[in-house]
Amino acid sequence: MDKNLLSNPRNKMSDFFYQWDFLGIAFGFMVLMPLIGMQRTTDFILFCIYVLAYTLLYGYMGRLSFGHMLYLGTGAYAATLFAAYVSKNPFLALLFAICAGLAIGLILGPIVVRATGACFALINLAFNHMGYFLALVAFAKYTGGEDGRAASFAKFGFFDFNSKPLKFWVALFCLILVFFFLKKLISSPYGVLIKSIKEDENRVKFLGYNTFRYKWVTFVISTTLTAFAGALTVLNYGYMTTGFIDPGRNVEVIFAALIGGPESLYGAILGGVAYMIISNFLAIYIPRWEMFLGIALLIIVFKFKTGVVGFISDRMKNEINA
Amino acid sequence: MVQIMIPINTIAYGLTIGGILYIISIGLSLTFGTMRIVNFAHPIAYTLGAYFLITLLPFIKGKFFWGALISVLAIIPIGYFIERYVIRKLYGVAIDYAIIATYAVFLIGIDLIKWIWGTNPIPLSDPIGREIILFSVPLPLYRVTVIGISLAIYLCLWLFFKKSIVGKIVVAALEDKDAVRSLGINVNRYFSFVFVLGSCLAGLGGVLYAPITSVHPYMGFMILLLSFAVVIVGGLGNLQGTFFSAFGLGMVIAITGRYWPPASEAMVFVVMAVVLIFRPIEV
Repeated sequence: MDKNLLSNPRNKMSDFFYQWDFLGIAFGFMVLMPLIGMQRTTDFILFCIYVLAYTLLYGYMGRLSFGHMLYLGTGAYAATLFAAYVSKNPFLALLFAICAGLAIGLILGPIVVRATGACFALINLAFNHMGYFLALVAFAKYTGGEDGRAASFAKFGFFDFNSKPLKFWVALFCLILVFFFLKKLISSPYGVLIKSIKEDENRVKFLGYNTFRYKWVTFVISTTLTAFAGALTVLNYGYMTTGFIDPGRNVEVIFAALIGGPESLYGAILGGVAYMIISNFLAIYIPRWEMFLGIALLIIVFKFKTGVVGFISDRMKNEINA
Repeated sequence: MVQIMIPINTIAYGLTIGGILYIISIGLSLTFGTMRIVNFAHPIAYTLGAYFLITLLPFIKGKFFWGALISVLAIIPIGYFIERYVIRKLYGVAIDYAIIATYAVFLIGIDLIKWIWGTNPIPLSDPIGREIILFSVPLPLYRVTVIGISLAIYLCLWLFFKKSIVGKIVVAALEDKDAVRSLGINVNRYFSFVFVLGSCLAGLGGVLYAPITSVHPYMGFMILLLSFAVVIVGGLGNLQGTFFSAFGLGMVIAITGRYWPPASEAMVFVVMAVVLIFRPIEV
């Protein structure tokens, strides 16, 4: 939707913006950094990667997962355990976490993607709960259970993951990479196809496509990127707790995707930043945080279904048509 | 003697949990079957039921029965309010928005409970406190009563849906909403009734479960997941299925709990996942 709008031939200006938008995003975070501090901005960026991965599944393919913390936790635990037992090389740990995300997507995919709607949401939640149990109780010897465990990474060349500026630039680079990848993906024929699955899966089947395979691939991409975000978060914090896999926290990413507008990558980044600002700063002043979150969600669902980006692009569309 | 003593305890525990799960899950199953909405706000009625009970007990000098009755009746306006101002606006909306909106109601409800009653768990003592001897095994009478109540509710609902006109309309609407509407029946009014009935039963579930566990604001979260598992295993909108799957999963919890207590709830989700693999539900 954003592409059609922004690459309107009458409007060379927005075409230019569409091509160089990642510079705008990078610039935005660089402006944000001195305002709120480097550590926090890194945190924001990593959450945005998570929201982007979630948006591919929810916004573009229309599958609301209520258990995405599982995949974030998979990445986080994979990176931590790799660092603890195999090698302290941060890049190998990242690679291992990505493979873990890929593996869990491949294994759970055939079960999960056959469901739609509420069933999809709930089966993810159920798996999330099983994962939480495994991390908290069954493998507490390795994961540290409720206390979590520290994750230390060795230096690799000039990549020292104890320095804050380096973490910031790596995170920003990863965000741009993920953003670029998803942008190419959703404007490709494949992207059109998954958007069609959201609209009407039966018709896509009727055209002769094996929708199961496309849904599975999309699910795997989403879990892999989410695990990547989880691993980066561990690199950033240097420790890992069960909070990374807690099923009670699933609503965060849904909220972030909704405020920005679930059908847009810009919306995902905007929503991620907005959610982090609200939860980092406003939560201090809002004593009833959950109630605030609930009321905000109700307002979004009943009044602004398309989120901030959808709201703005609708306005712009009206202006162009006028 | 010892060998059979433990299994009977486990079976009784499983049936108690199953009975409570059944009472709570009916509302969820009915709401889904009639309105095609997965109601994440359902455990609010459950939690409120338990909290109303502990608030009332000092005033009525510990008479559990009256406390339970008033608590369940107090759920009626709350159920109606949620139905009227949230659920009814979600007809025909994409199912993901319905999930998010009801989850938002759940968050608001939990926060209100934390605001009013605080976050500390409140324990509640067994209201009967006596034990009966069954096959020479002592069982708390309260748990046996809970099993009895759930069976009575099952029978009442069966009669209600078989014999009364309101029940028949609801059953017909579960099958085909539009056909019922074309007979000139205002189905939404019946849905509203069904929703309030489901909420009251969830409140009753909370009241009955309160003396077995402790009362705290997040008690609804786990129950929500468990009753979803019940409804999915039993089939959404299938009242018979809900009954059998509730007791089945109650037994799963009890038996797993006997060998490895922390795994008892995770095991329910294993069962649910297996069921979903073999019988995916089109929603």
